[in-house]
Amino acid sequence: MFASATPWLLATEATEESEGIDLLLPETSELIAGIIAFAIIFFFAWKWVFPTIGKTLEARQAAIKADYEAAESAKIEAESLKNDYQAQLAQARDEAGRIVEEARQAGESVRAEVVARADVEAAAIKERAAADMSGERDRVAASLRREVADLSLDVAEKVVGSSLDRPSQQALVDRYIDELGGLGN
Amino acid sequence: MESVILAASECDVSQEIICAPQDVLELFFFKDALFTIGGFHFTRTVFLIFLAMFIVLGLLYFGLRKGEKVPSKFSSAIEALVTFVKEDIAIGIIGPEGVKYAPYLLAVFMFVIVGNLFEVTPLINFPITSRMAIPLFISLVTWVIFVIVGFKKNGLRYLGDLIWPKSVPVALRWLVGIIEFVSTFLLRPITLAVRLFANLVAGHLMLTLLLASGWIFMSSVGDIGVRSIIGLPWFVFGLGIYVFEIVVAVLQAYIITLLSAVYVQTSVHPEH
Amino acid sequence: MEEIKGAIALVGYGLAAIGPGIGIGIVVGNAIQAMARQPEAAGMARTTMFLGIAFTEALALIGFVLFFIA
Repeated sequence: MFASATPWLLATEATEESEGIDLLLPETSELIAGIIAFAIIFFFAWKWVFPTIGKTLEARQAAIKADYEAAESAKIEAESLKNDYQAQLAQARDEAGRIVEEARQAGESVRAEVVARADVEAAAIKERAAADMSGERDRVAASLRREVADLSLDVAEKVVGSSLDRPSQQALVDRYIDELGGLGN
Repeated sequence: MESVILAASECDVSQEIICAPQDVLELFFFKDALFTIGGFHFTRTVFLIFLAMFIVLGLLYFGLRKGEKVPSKFSSAIEALVTFVKEDIAIGIIGPEGVKYAPYLLAVFMFVIVGNLFEVTPLINFPITSRMAIPLFISLVTWVIFVIVGFKKNGLRYLGDLIWPKSVPVALRWLVGIIEFVSTFLLRPITLAVRLFANLVAGHLMLTLLLASGWIFMSSVGDIGVRSIIGLPWFVFGLGIYVFEIVVAVLQAYIITLLSAVYVQTSVHPEH
Repeated sequence: MEEIKGAIALVGYGLAAIGPGIGIGIVVGNAIQAMARQPEAAGMARTTMFLGIAFTEALALIGFVLFFIA
């Protein structure tokens, strides 16, 4: 297919023979076009691109600076807020600690009081019980003694067969029992 | 692909191993004008020059139009480009007074980079900077700028220091002076123009020959059978060069801008 | 001579490219050394490197021009 020249491919083939030097020499039309195009680009760059980009960069710099400053002040504010909160928190913690301590002390004193009262009460109860007991014993001992005296008199009356002078005998027996009690003790 | 295939249309695939056009220069001439106004031929190249201009204007305009606080990706890329030319090239090389030359350098950079990238743009495939008109014009403008700045900043001492350098032994001054004179006033503009031009011509030639050869051999498989496999390495190699040419396009745009700045700087501070 | 005109110009360009090829290699090599030694001066070294390349390359570019003129 490409072995022979096809017309559409040769549409732009040079009609006259081109010399090597032709490649080095600028073509007038291209030179004019190049100058016009380059001049337009240059004026565009000069009058529009650099002013615009300068403005953009300046605006951006200002914006960034403003942002930065805002952020800085916000940071400072946040810092102080944080410090406030921390102080408050510490205060609250102290408060709580104090309250707990107070409660603990109160509890301690209540406990001590309760214990003391209980001790006192227990001692009183014990004492009363001891008193009750000794009173009872005395009473029992007295009644026992009287019983024993009566019994011994009865026994002696029976043995002697005559009524003894009861009151004097009674005294006698009591003395014996006392002696015995003293011996027993 | 038309402009690529154009080159080697008369290739005899049964005889040759690479399809070179009979006259390589055909690749760079678009003789038939779309229309002509008083000797001005509006050819495809002229059209591409204006297309490049509109692309540059469009990129700059749409990239910088809004100037938002938080730029989009496209905007920040264009901004970075403009800032790069201004800060790194103009101010970084010429010094604080380089701001004055920033618009010129930006125009050079944008125009040349777009013109170079036309080389690897599908459907265009033709670098406008491979025509001598544009590199020559840019290097002449740079030449005029640095000569004028040199004389304005230093007066006649600019020329005097150049051809009679004080830092060189007396016996050698005339020789160094001649070399400096020729190098500054003749070689600088020529090399500045030819460097860009030559790189793009070479790139365009390589891409065209390799890709066209590959395409022509592979598509004539019906005529030459298994021999058409020769096109495959050509095509693959061409694609490798294609990537390389993208780098070259950007680098050459950077270099011509950088050297323009350096030449202006040597006129602003000739003692360096 | 007309048939081998192109070939002679090509040879001329090839010869013209040898020197700059070596020169650019030396320039870039030394620039890389300088950058490696003093990374903080890399920007300056890079600029000077491009300048050196530009001057060295001039000969090759003149050869390229002569190829078309011859």
